[in-house]
Amino acid sequence: MSAALLTRLQEEYGAVHAALPESVTAAKRRREAIETLCAQGLPATREENWRYTNLRVLERARFSPVEDPAGTLPVLPEPLEGFARYVFLDGQLRSSAAAPRGVTVCSLRSQGAAGAGWEFGAQLPEARLALLNEAFATDAIAIEVPADAEPCGIELVFVAATAAQQGASYPRVRLALQSGARLSVVERHIGLADSASLVNSAVRVELAANAHLTHYRLQHCGARAVWFDTLAAQLAAEAHYELLAVSTGALTARSSVHARLAGAGAQFTLSAAALGEGAQSQDMYALSEHLAVRTRTAETFRGIASGRSRVAFNGKIAVRQSARGTDSRQSLRGLLDGPEAEIDLRPQLEIYTDEVRCSHGATAGKLDENMLFYLLSRGLAPEVAEHLLKWAFLEDVIARIGLADLRRQIERGLAGQLSEAATLQELL
Amino acid sequence: MLTIKNLHAAVDGKEILKGLDLQVPEGEVHAVMGPNGSGKSTLAHVLAGRPGYSITAGTVLFKGRDLLALSPEERAREGVFLGFQYPVEIPGVNNVYLLKAAVNAARKHRGLPEVDAFEFLTLVREKMRLMRMDESMLSRGVNEGFSGGEKKRNEILQMLVLEPALALLDETDSGLDIDALKVVANGVNTLRAPNRSMVLVTHYQRLLEHIVPDRVHVLVKGRIVRSGDRTLAHELERRGYDWLLGEAA
Repeated sequence: MSAALLTRLQEEYGAVHAALPESVTAAKRRREAIETLCAQGLPATREENWRYTNLRVLERARFSPVEDPAGTLPVLPEPLEGFARYVFLDGQLRSSAAAPRGVTVCSLRSQGAAGAGWEFGAQLPEARLALLNEAFATDAIAIEVPADAEPCGIELVFVAATAAQQGASYPRVRLALQSGARLSVVERHIGLADSASLVNSAVRVELAANAHLTHYRLQHCGARAVWFDTLAAQLAAEAHYELLAVSTGALTARSSVHARLAGAGAQFTLSAAALGEGAQSQDMYALSEHLAVRTRTAETFRGIASGRSRVAFNGKIAVRQSARGTDSRQSLRGLLDGPEAEIDLRPQLEIYTDEVRCSHGATAGKLDENMLFYLLSRGLAPEVAEHLLKWAFLEDVIARIGLADLRRQIERGLAGQLSEAATLQELL
Repeated sequence: MLTIKNLHAAVDGKEILKGLDLQVPEGEVHAVMGPNGSGKSTLAHVLAGRPGYSITAGTVLFKGRDLLALSPEERAREGVFLGFQYPVEIPGVNNVYLLKAAVNAARKHRGLPEVDAFEFLTLVREKMRLMRMDESMLSRGVNEGFSGGEKKRNEILQMLVLEPALALLDETDSGLDIDALKVVANGVNTLRAPNRSMVLVTHYQRLLEHIVPDRVHVLVKGRIVRSGDRTLAHELERRGYDWLLGEAA
């Protein structure tokens, strides 16, 4: 990444920093974030864990945030029953619901002040874009669930409307569950169909002992958008973090996830699906760090690349010396649809202790010809048969979406994306 | 219904069918028997349109039309059904989705509206009872985790729901215990009709005790070397195939 880019970054920061809200991130921390970023440099494709990300988009983008989002909201997805919905336009809260009982939901731009607990692991090279978020964020939402609160649901809808030349949006979220709390979060990233927005989100998850968070993340930004994302989670003893991510939108999408399994028996379940078509690039990096005994990771990734698209998943499981009895499983599969499409799957294991059970599998291939012929022999049109098989391929992930309404929404969305064939949609 | 003349088919440059003639009139059930490697399964797959086979000579007429000119899905919609010897498992594609998609593809082809969802399920349930299949199988992936016998029952279930004009059953009896064989045979028998023909490809005579064929043909080295009534099957059971091998030369 060129020095010129860093200079521009500093200049842009210098021009806007005085207007950035202190309550979202204190000026001192913003300045430190920029300094750290300039010292480390922006991510570059020559770095192993960034090689599949299209980072050239940064050269054309404006880093400064959209200050006064003025766009109109698109039609939002059907509300989900039992979920309090919060809608953000270009990173700033636009509409909110009544928070579930006992739960604190706070937009830092308008209320309160940023406290502690927004660390994204800046020492990790994969978390650097969170520094950019820290420096430029114009709003942040902090959600806290008290100990043993009733299970409840919150939906966060981030709409990117403004073009990247006019400014970026920086969604910023903190989810903190106290001991024994249970929460379901649906986090959507959508955009206006044709807006070439730049989104750089940062999400921080903190689970106290025995807390259980089910987190659905749906990235369905517009076809010309750029979506960057950093998620850092810290899990205490016996906490369970269930993350289900479906990424279908944006021209370039990159998500970096870092889960720290710090307490005994903590459990991280990551199920992710990505769909690339045209010239899209979908890239996900996930680091699961086992720090305590009996911690578990179960990772499932299914990606389909068609056209000239590239779909990448890089999953690293690191088992530290303190993490005896770790159990980790990785199942990564990619489906190539077309001679110019690319799938890159990397399961990585780093083990520094004994008595662990770690398994991983990664395969990439084309549609199974026997399956295809079977469906054709039943009268299905070739395009329907292909779409059905692609659909089936993603099912390992989609089937885990426990919320029936949400699953149906995703299925309809995928059916639309996978096919023009109305017949498939009717089947769902 | 089906007229095959001088059919030659090769796979990977190796000729498997070498001038096969076969005629199956409307309403009849024919058995094609033969030793391993004689080309029985190739015949079934060539008729269903499986890619990978090259037809080097011959004609196949189905209801007076050139069957070989049709794509696999067109053949299916026209009423050709292949019951697979080894049905594939397709996790994630629900059995009932597939059945409904298959039925609607054929209906659309005939200019009919889509099947009513409720009537369709009622029909499928009725056929499942006939095949002694558990209803829970409907919501499972196609053949996913099914035993060999369950897969074969599922093939016949699909056939019962699709009501094809021509059913090609490839070794439907293989891997079935005697009770499952009876269930499968019973399913096939309920579909016998004056406007429907069936070709049973089988290695053994035991299926033919339950589905009595109108004609029996012996396929050896890619050609039909002998045809007869059902007593031919008994003779094969008694004498094996060796005595016919010379006739293929």
